This record gives sequence, structure tokens and C-alpha cells, in this order.
Amino acid sequence: MWRYAAGRTLQALVAILGVLTIVFVVMRAAGDPTLLLVPQGASAEAIDALRHNLGFDRPWIVQYAEYLRDLARLDLGVSVVQHIPASDIVASRLPYTLELASGALLIAAGFGIPVGVLMATGRGGWVAGLLGTLVLAGQSMPSFLSGILLIAVFGVVLGWLPTSGADDLQALVLPSLALGALSMASFARMTRIAVLDELGRDHVRAARARGLSMTQTVLRHVLRNAAIPVVTVAALEIGNLLAGSVIVETVFAWPGIGQLAIQSIEARDFLVVQAVVLLVSAVHVATSLAADLAYALIDRRIRLAR
Amino acid sequence: MKRFAASLGLVALLAWGVPALAQTAKDTLTVDLPGDAATLDPQVQWDTDSYTIYRNIFDNLVTRDTAGTIVPQIASAWRNLDDTHVEFTLRQDVTFHDGSKLTADDVVFSIKRITNPAFNSPQLSQFDQIADATITAPDKVVLSLKSPYPVLLAQLVKLSIVPKADVLARGDQAFNLKPMGSGPYRLREWQKGVQTTLDANPGYWRGAPPFKTVIFRAVPDGSTRIADLKAGKVDIVRGLAPDDAIALKSNAQLQVLSVPTERVGYLFINAQGGPTTDLRLRQAIAYAIDQQALIDALLQGYGKKVTSIGAEPIFGYQPDIKNLPYDPAKAKALVKEAGAEGRELIFNTSPAYDRRLVEAIQQMINDVGLKVTINVSDQATYLKRRQGTPQDAGSIAIGIWSCACQDADGVIFPLFRTGSSWAKYSNPAYDAAVDAARSTLDPAKRIADYRTAYQILRDDLPGIGLYQAYALYAARKELHWQPTPNESFFVMDMKWQ
Repeated sequence: MWRYAAGRTLQALVAILGVLTIVFVVMRAAGDPTLLLVPQGASAEAIDALRHNLGFDRPWIVQYAEYLRDLARLDLGVSVVQHIPASDIVASRLPYTLELASGALLIAAGFGIPVGVLMATGRGGWVAGLLGTLVLAGQSMPSFLSGILLIAVFGVVLGWLPTSGADDLQALVLPSLALGALSMASFARMTRIAVLDELGRDHVRAARARGLSMTQTVLRHVLRNAAIPVVTVAALEIGNLLAGSVIVETVFAWPGIGQLAIQSIEARDFLVVQAVVLLVSAVHVATSLAADLAYALIDRRIRLAR
Repeated sequence: MKRFAASLGLVALLAWGVPALAQTAKDTLTVDLPGDAATLDPQVQWDTDSYTIYRNIFDNLVTRDTAGTIVPQIASAWRNLDDTHVEFTLRQDVTFHDGSKLTADDVVFSIKRITNPAFNSPQLSQFDQIADATITAPDKVVLSLKSPYPVLLAQLVKLSIVPKADVLARGDQAFNLKPMGSGPYRLREWQKGVQTTLDANPGYWRGAPPFKTVIFRAVPDGSTRIADLKAGKVDIVRGLAPDDAIALKSNAQLQVLSVPTERVGYLFINAQGGPTTDLRLRQAIAYAIDQQALIDALLQGYGKKVTSIGAEPIFGYQPDIKNLPYDPAKAKALVKEAGAEGRELIFNTSPAYDRRLVEAIQQMINDVGLKVTINVSDQATYLKRRQGTPQDAGSIAIGIWSCACQDADGVIFPLFRTGSSWAKYSNPAYDAAVDAARSTLDPAKRIADYRTAYQILRDDLPGIGLYQAYALYAARKELHWQPTPNESFFVMDMKWQ
């Protein structure tokens, strides 16, 4: 087991290094930030001098070696655009991203799961039909459109909620709705399948035979077992919510990681982009590593197959 | 009885409170900008968002008034000692936010800091003609120049004075995070990526600032900025699209503030690479473009026709040296004469430029018999190509140019002088004219040189001027402010009524 765990961890580290290397090369192939930094009229000599002083004229391999050396010392470098350590910049944005992902998950699960149960049990009639349609519409509508609509209705016309910003909990509502709407349908679909699956089982039919009402049966016997696949979906959706928030963050001026990533790529702020990529790839690799190890703990065959 | 007393008190409070409310000045001005400041150290980045914010924290050596004239700020007067030495007399009543006096030492330090190559300021190229700065009296500083430099004052408009003692004591990185200047506002809090909050400096030497607090928010999406304004969350937004400006005109609570700027929209035509090395094709392109149609249809009138790559606020601009007129028949004939019908022209562009403008120009040029292929990339890649070799630069490209110096030396010199990274063109006669114009202090002689230069450009057509861009802001009706051609955002000049 330990041998397996060590091997998988090593693979995970290689994967992260691979991602970082690809990003390092691709970013530099697309040009450095010097031209974006200087005033328009800067002379060719001034541009070359700044590029030289910032070190972007050195061979990539030298820059890469330097980056790896600093990385080994856990130094992510200082942003050439903002003159602030890249790790500080990313760290300052992380809480906003986590807040938004939590809000969106709450909305997606809070609407998606009940709708899925209603759809599976055939209860609810036209209410379920309407909710089902809404959930589907939520997933179908691109978030730049739903975002602007939400702002126009709840922010401008009704004036109930802030139009943008990240000042307080109220400001979290609309972006969470816009982002959560994208995942609602996944929750509803998965819940519906899981609940239908459970409804066909013997213990559920026995419960119905004992005279329990449908509602009681679902609440007492079905939901618990149906929860397992739904939790799996939730885990997968967290990844999507973290990654898919770029547009929502831009529309609502929500200062999360997604917005930072786009802005740093546009500005060719290499070290910030690399810090963001390091964080995101580490999260992805760590979750899949945890899942692999958990499977291996549960099922010996997975270990033996290697 | 108690209740009666309470209501009496309430009535009294209302009676006292209502007139008081009516007189209450607005305390907080909230501004939506498209982005956060990159740096608040005024000697590092100077993108529009950073400049908008930090220029309210700092004073500059000289500045421009609303009309665009260079006027005193920290320097109260200046005179040329000879062609390469300028003496500045400094105000003696200015203090930094910590109460320390702003002295000649701080001015010299600021100049030496930004011109020190090791400091790596991206703004260095604007000040690299300055060779040295020396204190000659407690209130006098003399700048020595590498050669006679007529644009010095226009460049010094952008030089903020930083406190020497504070910068040295805390270091560059700490100073950037919590800068201290002598300006009308001091930094309260910088929430990176979210907003910057400034407090009024009550002891400001030019008088008390108009708002106690100013908040600059970073809101990247244009529609969201307008929603913020309509919902009353903010008082003024920068970066308004012309279409949105038209839509806002019917809103009784809001106003559109606009001003023609020194920013010029132009079309670059590659004279050193690709099919457009043939002068007849460059002429054909110039005849094919209907400037007025572009301005009316796409800029909604928030643009003004220019006759060359320049505009009224720019020194040296020659309104009477005209672009070739719109004449598609002549353009077609020229394409035919050059045997270039159906020849492909690469049109490099980026999302920074209005896609519809690009497509309209493509259509106009296609209509006279050429075939334009649009090549979109992000801004960094676009700049790399545009400033790369003549073979990579594409045949045409649009650009929007501003040197923030209101002088042709900052416009047509970098665009077309041989050796500049932007120039895909070379003409010794042109080089001689623009070189001469930057090495004499005599305005009449400079005008004559620029007349020559603009005439050569009109004949050679390495580019054509399209329009003078307008700065567009949307604000609450109560805000009184006149935006300036150099797009400064001085809260000190605003009023709330």
C-alpha cells in the first residue's frame, strides 16, 4: 500500500511539473510583457533595454532553470506588472473564489436535488414540470447572458441586490445564482437517476407495502442511499465551479482566481499565471490522488492490478 | 404624555434635519473603472487605471489645465538657461501627507529614481533625454538635457514627485503598496483587484478637496458598469462604448460627459512588406476609406474626422494637409493599374480595437478589388507582430495612438521614423524633418518641420489618420466636471450640485 501511495504521489508531482512546463513554454512563445508595459512611443532601444533588465531576452532554458530553482525554495517570484509577490496576489483572490464556489454549490444542490427527487417520484405535477424547465433553462443559458439579466432585474429594476462587487453576503447572491444555475441540471439529473434506482429496490417496495406514504418512504429509505452518487457529482462539480467562474467573475466584478487568470494572461504576467496554474493543477491532482488512494484502500484488486 | 413628547421630539428633529439634509454635501464619490491599478507607485506603471487613481494621491512637477495648457503645480515657474538647461522654481508651501515638507531634494530624487535604468521603470523612455538634475538654490532645480528637447515640459506633466525619505526608509515594494504623496487625496485602503479607497487631504495646498472619500472600483464588464450607475451604486464610470452613450442619453438622472482627446485612430499601411510596398495600393486603400461613414455609423458621432495622423490638441498637427478624398472609382483604377485585383492583404487586429470598425474597413477595401483577411490575436501577440519585422507586421492594421504629450514628436516620430519598432517605412527626407523638429526649441521652426513631415507622409502613405477619439464617461446629473483632452481624472476639479 505505501509503495503504491508513494508511486501515485510521484506521478502526481510529475503531472504538476508537466503542466507548469507546458504553460511556461506556451506563455513565452506568445510574447513577453515588455511591449504592454512601455508607453506607446518608446524607442526600440528603450524596449530592448527594459526587456534585458527584466531578463526576458535570456534563453528560455535559463529562465526555466531559474524558475524551478525558486520553486524548489517555494518562491513563486514577484509580478513584473504589479511588483508584488505572485503568491500574495493569488492568496488575496483565493477567498473570493472559495466563497463564490460555495455559494454556487449551495444554489445548485439546493435547487437541483429537490427537483431531481420530484422528477423521480412523479410527484409535484406541474410544479415539478416548471422547476424542471427552469433548471434546464439555467444550464442552457450562457452565464454572460444570465448574469446581465440577473443584474438588470434584481439590481437595477427591483433594486433588491447589489449590481456588482464583493462587499458583503448580499453581493454573493447574484453571482452564485448565475454560476450555480450551470450545475443545477447535473444535480437534478443525477438525483433523479439515483432516486429511481432506489425506488425499484426490495426494501423500498417493502416499505411501501407496509403502508408508508411515498413522501415518508423517500425521506426515510431512499434519500440516504441515493445520496452517495449525488455526493460524487458534487465533488466533480466543485472542480467545474472553480474553473467555470471566469465569465461570472468578470460580469459581476467578483475578484476571484478566474478573473485574475484572464487578466494575467492578457498582461503576460508570467509568474502570476504560473502561480495560478500551480494552484489549480495542484488542487485537481490532489483530489484525483485522494480518490485513487481511497479506492485502493477500499478495493485490494486496484492495488494488485498495478 | 411620554409618547407625545417623543413625537414632539421627532417633529423637531425632522424640522431641524430637513434643511440640514438639503445642505449636506456629498461625502463619497464612487467611481467604476475597467480595472484595478496595477501599481500605485506613480513611477512604475502608467496604464490608464493606475494613472487615474495615483494621480489623485500625488502632485506633478507641472500639469495641464482643462484647456490643455501646461501650468505650474510643484514648479511655480521655469525658464531656459540655455538650449540644454532648464531651471525650475519650486513652491515652498507643499507638504507630504505625513506633514514633512516637499523640498528640492525630493524633486531631484524623483527625477533620478525614474531615470535610473536599474529601477526598470516602464516610463523611462519618456524621461530619458534628462541627463542630470541638480539643486542650485533651496527652491531651484536645474535639469540638464542630453540635447535640446522641446517636448520636455509635455513629458514632465507625467512626472509625480515622491517623498525621498519615505521611499528610502520603506523600500520600493512597501511604498508601492502604501504610497504617500502630496496630492489632494491620501490612500486609506487598497483591496487588490476590488477597490481603492482614498481620503481627502484636508490641508492640501490648493484647498480642501470636494469629497471626503473617493472609491475607485474595478469592474471589467461595460454593461455591469452601466448597471452600477443606473442602480445608484456609483457616481461616474469610465470606459463607455459609443452605443451605450446613445442609450443613456434618454435617462433623466444621468449624463454623458465627453471630450475630444489627443487620441487618434489611424490605419497603418505596411510600406516595407507584402503587396502594399506598391505605392499605388497604398493610395488605393486611402481612396477606398470613407472616414465620415465610419465616424457616423460606428462611433455614433463620438469621433471627429482628422486630415492626417494627428488632432487639434497635438502640437504640429496640420489640418490643411489633407488625406486623399473618398473616391472608390479612383481606388479601383489604381488596383487595376497595379495588376493587384484580388490580392490578399493581412489585417492584424486584437480585441482592443472595435471589431465592427475593422470589418467596415475590410469591406471598404474589398469593394475596390482587394481581398482583406482579418487576423485576430490577443493584444500582446498583436503588438509583437505589429512591432516585429515588416514581413510579419501584416499589410494593414488599425491603432489608436496617444503619447499623453500632445506633441507630434510623440506621435509621428515613433510611428514612422526609420529605426522605430512601429515604422514599416523609411524615407531620409522624412527622418531629417522629424529629427530637426525634436532638436530645436523654436516653435515656429518646429511647425515648419512638421509641415514638411506631414506632406511627405501624405505622399508616401505609410499610414492614414482616421478619426480623433472622444473620451466618454457616464455620470450622475449632479456631478459637474469637464473632462480633459489628455484624459486626466482629477477629482479635485469635480463638483457635486
